[in-house]
Amino acid sequence: MGIVPTPFELPQSAVGPGVRRPMRRLERPIQGRRIGGVCAGLAEHLGINVRYVRVGFVLACLGGGAGIVAYVFLWALTPQALETTAVAGADAVAGSPPANESVRNLVVGLALLVVGLALYAQQRGVNLHLGVLIPLLTMAGGAVLAWSKLDDAERDRWLVQDMESGGRRVGLLRLGIGIALASIGVVVLATQGLGLAGLWSVGIAALAVLAGAALIAAPWGMRLWGDLRVEQAQRIRQTERADIAAHLHDSVLQTLALIQRKSGDPAEVVRLARAQERELRGWLYAGPLGSQATLASAVTEVAHEVEDLHGTPIELVVTGDRTLDDGGTGLVRALREALLNAVRHGAPPVSVYVEVGSECVEAFVRDHGPGFALADVPQDRLGVRESILGRMSRHGGSAGVRRLEHGTEVSIFLPVAPGSLSATQPDTATQPDTEGMR
Amino acid sequence: MSEPGSRPATTSVRVVLVDDHRMFRSGVKAELDESMVIVGEAGDVDEAIVVVAQTRPDVVLLDVHLPGGNGHGGSDVITGSAGVTTESGDPVRFLALSVSDSAEDVIAVIRAGARGYVTKTIYGQDLTEAIRRVADGDAVFSPRLAGFVLDAFGAAAGEVAVIDEELDRLSAREREVMRLIARGYQYKEVAKELFISIKTVETHVSSVLRKLQLSSRHELTAWAVGRHLL
Repeated sequence: MGIVPTPFELPQSAVGPGVRRPMRRLERPIQGRRIGGVCAGLAEHLGINVRYVRVGFVLACLGGGAGIVAYVFLWALTPQALETTAVAGADAVAGSPPANESVRNLVVGLALLVVGLALYAQQRGVNLHLGVLIPLLTMAGGAVLAWSKLDDAERDRWLVQDMESGGRRVGLLRLGIGIALASIGVVVLATQGLGLAGLWSVGIAALAVLAGAALIAAPWGMRLWGDLRVEQAQRIRQTERADIAAHLHDSVLQTLALIQRKSGDPAEVVRLARAQERELRGWLYAGPLGSQATLASAVTEVAHEVEDLHGTPIELVVTGDRTLDDGGTGLVRALREALLNAVRHGAPPVSVYVEVGSECVEAFVRDHGPGFALADVPQDRLGVRESILGRMSRHGGSAGVRRLEHGTEVSIFLPVAPGSLSATQPDTATQPDTEGMR
Repeated sequence: MSEPGSRPATTSVRVVLVDDHRMFRSGVKAELDESMVIVGEAGDVDEAIVVVAQTRPDVVLLDVHLPGGNGHGGSDVITGSAGVTTESGDPVRFLALSVSDSAEDVIAVIRAGARGYVTKTIYGQDLTEAIRRVADGDAVFSPRLAGFVLDAFGAAAGEVAVIDEELDRLSAREREVMRLIARGYQYKEVAKELFISIKTVETHVSSVLRKLQLSSRHELTAWAVGRHLL
């Protein structure tokens, strides 16, 4: 991640110290921190150069350690900045060392310094009560170690992260060691001057107190955890809602607007409504897989295409499915021609039934128009004769036209090679199409 | 269309409309002819159960997706209205009406006891006829439902019951009837095509409905879950 400020923050960072600018919330930036980001945050908050703040803190440290106390206090109470917030401070430059490394150096340096001072003082005859000091230092170290894990930003990530990730394990380890250190410090401090037996009884008492505290805090903790879960679920639901809203906006709302504008043209309105209905159905019910080269999907596609061309609704029923082969393609083309005839010359409702069986595929296209018989069709009209009857016989099948009391029915028959089917498997959409185009 | 049935076409049918879309309810009301008397309307499961118990209609036109109840939509209304009869003592009959393409929903409402299923895009006249048919105790199958039955019972793949009483398969005749309905034939046309009476067609359809409601054919559920009537 670079330290490029967001565009709207650029002018702000260019503003000099004397110019009035909006006071920023006090928070510890992630970029440009030396230890915990307290100085950088404070500088940002007060609008002074970070260097002065740092010098001030160091000076305060010399005066009896007040600086350290103040620093730790601020560090514990100041929330960490969100990662997007860039720092306008002077040392927010790419060359500064990573915060982790500088922290380590600093801690080691401080420790050495403290130990050195302690040894020096001891030599000079000052009683430092090492028995008190060492446990205290241990406690402080443990607390820092544990708390640093509860850093705002990290805590969020930490809870979201799943169990397996290494980051969390390291975090838990740190927390564990920190707590152990602090506890050891407390125990050593509290049991000074007691024997092993005393240590034992104190330990039991401490354990009892801890258990009691845990018991009291448990319901509260559980509720907190539950709330967190609920919140997460809500967030997921909100994202889903947003997705749905976006989709509806792009599809349904647009179509509705179109329909309002074309309200004078019923055919167009019907066409728009049907197209939108199909789109929505596809989005709601279709699986993640797109259209595959199966007979059923090809038939569906053709029916939708004709519906779109003419605006006549087509009732489509397909049972069974199989991979789309050469004969199947022929059947689909013949079916398309029959459908076009039905919507052009017939009357709605137009029904299509395609039955994919183990030995044959049968398709029926039926309309409710005045009807026609093949004999009435002039010889030069190629639609029915060539595109339907001729095509099917070329593919080894057959077709017929029948006049009913109300309307006409075109039937198409195609024998298929047994063995290459998946007719009894209803859910072909989930099967990988290994057979491909035969 | 006038067909010989147990009820003359002039007798009015008392209908309750259950749909959570007010716009759709008023659309249906406008489309039905005057022999259909709308005696009540409801917008959710609980309201529907109350209205059905109060008005005791001949037919309930029931949307598959409804708010309220135990979350099963139309099926909850049917279970909640079990035992309610009309004044003449017939059970209250349910006709499922849906835009849903989910076979799962449709099969659930049929198995709960609905006498048929039609899509919401059905023409007004056909809907009137379907309601009348359900009021007479017959079953109403849309082409889609017929296709679903053929697929789910393996009839499309050539499975046929040897004896009619077999619950898990369709008889050869039932399969023929279902196929013709899937092809968009009216009962009248089916009868003519197969040289049987309309009454016989109705008997076959009712028998298929019974199989659909009672069969424990495992594919039925698996099919319904895995597939949508597109």
